[in-house]
Amino acid sequence: MEILVCVKKVPDTADAEVVLKPDGKGIREEDLAFGINEWDNYAVEEAIRIKEAHGGRVTVATIGAPDSEDVLRRCLAMGADEAIMIDEAPFMGSDPYGIARGLRGVVKKNAYDLVLAGTQAGDDGYAMVGPVLAGYLGWPHATLVTSIALEEKKIAVTRELEGGLEEMLTLELPAVLTIQTGINEPRYVSIMGIRKVRSKEIPVLGLGDLGLASGEVGEHANLLVSLGFSQPPAGRAAEMIKGTPAEVAQKILDILKEKGGVV
Amino acid sequence: MARVFIIVEHRQGAIRDATFELVTLARELHTKFGLEPAALVIGSGVKRFAETLSAYLPETIVVEHEMLADFRYETYAAVLRDIIEKETPLLTLCPQSAFGMELAPRLSVELSRPCATDCVRVEMDGPRLVVVRSVYNGKINSSLSFASSGGYLATVRSGSYAPAAEVGSAGTIREYPCPPFGAHFKTEFRGYREAASGAIDITQAPFILSVGRGIKDVEHISKAEELAAKLGAVLACSRPVVDKKWLGKERQVGTSGRTVKPKVYLALGISGAFQHLAGVKGSGVFIAVNRDQKAPIFRAADYGVVEDLFKVMDALMERLGS
Repeated sequence: MEILVCVKKVPDTADAEVVLKPDGKGIREEDLAFGINEWDNYAVEEAIRIKEAHGGRVTVATIGAPDSEDVLRRCLAMGADEAIMIDEAPFMGSDPYGIARGLRGVVKKNAYDLVLAGTQAGDDGYAMVGPVLAGYLGWPHATLVTSIALEEKKIAVTRELEGGLEEMLTLELPAVLTIQTGINEPRYVSIMGIRKVRSKEIPVLGLGDLGLASGEVGEHANLLVSLGFSQPPAGRAAEMIKGTPAEVAQKILDILKEKGGVV
Repeated sequence: MARVFIIVEHRQGAIRDATFELVTLARELHTKFGLEPAALVIGSGVKRFAETLSAYLPETIVVEHEMLADFRYETYAAVLRDIIEKETPLLTLCPQSAFGMELAPRLSVELSRPCATDCVRVEMDGPRLVVVRSVYNGKINSSLSFASSGGYLATVRSGSYAPAAEVGSAGTIREYPCPPFGAHFKTEFRGYREAASGAIDITQAPFILSVGRGIKDVEHISKAEELAAKLGAVLACSRPVVDKKWLGKERQVGTSGRTVKPKVYLALGISGAFQHLAGVKGSGVFIAVNRDQKAPIFRAADYGVVEDLFKVMDALMERLGS
């Protein structure tokens, strides 16, 4: 089984303060830690598990700045066989349609049976690239995938629905699957492991390699036009409890007793 | 007159709540910008859903076929493509749910109409549609418009609009002929299953202590268990804790887990992803402890503490004595 996994380097904003740039066109990235998109990490692990169980090869690809190389090397250290870097420059500001066009070029370069991607990215959260790529390729897709089993020329998956329900379906191969977090437990990557893949060559592809002309991707080709970023309206705000941890704990217990009727 | 369509989401014989939030948005687009709203009901044996919707919107279009009994993006997209190409609405709305995430981006490619996903607001600025999306874990809003001038698709995050009430007057129901399907489909629906459910039922607990990503390590879970036991609370968690297998799926609060309404919800180290907050709507007293003062959870909680959760846990343990 030839598997391509599409990955992306994103800032970790779950636990960090996010500050807008003065021009409102982006966020300040200096103080944020960057790493592989959480959903993509599960997708890479899933691809490697399929390879380990059934044989084949795993290739990871990203459209990113040159410093995305560390994410690709991390995937190689996890067990991916090849990595492909797509030069981000012509894709600057691309919407999910532009990114999917670029990835279509990668898919067409090899006879892949399966393309995996994260269900969404932790930064812009469109959850579009996977199903749009499948649409461009004319392949079947499934999103929010929580388990995968290979069958004869088919693949059986479950999708996460709401309220603890899952849907079971099969897809003909080749197919595009977008992976939901929690599908597996991604393996630990050691510094030693990354050292071992330090000298592995990572080809860099440009637009010509992807069968694209300039003008087909990038901000000017977007169907979704950015009008800028803003702070969300404050809305309602919690009453903040201040003080030392001991004072805060006492106030919490008072609220539990007086307002909550518990404790 | 420009029109706005909403795709009615239903599953296992019931209309999903998100549909009625889209009704509110469609009505707002009518009142403010003059768009004519209509509901699209697609399925098998779904005329009763069309009747329900006719009490909410002036027009409901219904397509029935046995091939549409279970949702597959392939059959649904084929029908929707036919309707949208013939009826040419300016905008078609769909919930950003497991249903909408599977369907809308693919439909967008097949229709060659752009789709903006996971919108929290949809408006018009003159002739131009403008949507607002919540990005970077709910910490930043992003505004978008569309480049081409034809029709558009948008999916709407649940909870962005309040569910609509019936209007009373009956709207019209139009039966739309199902277009012929191609001979071959590449996907096959095989049924539903419940994700593993354990012995504990958090939905019945009056007091929930819930932990999130901030708990950092599986070793700290026992500490949270100890505190919950001491407080007389049931321990629950947000998605990242279940993804890491530190607690079972049956303890997950949120859209893909359980919806809870306890008297007290005490959240430790949970940033407040909208999927999580949707699962605690209607709780009594909501207290949140998080290190980031801008965490979205403080926009939902009644009381907030900006502090390291372990310091608060230790102080609570100390106050409660041994």
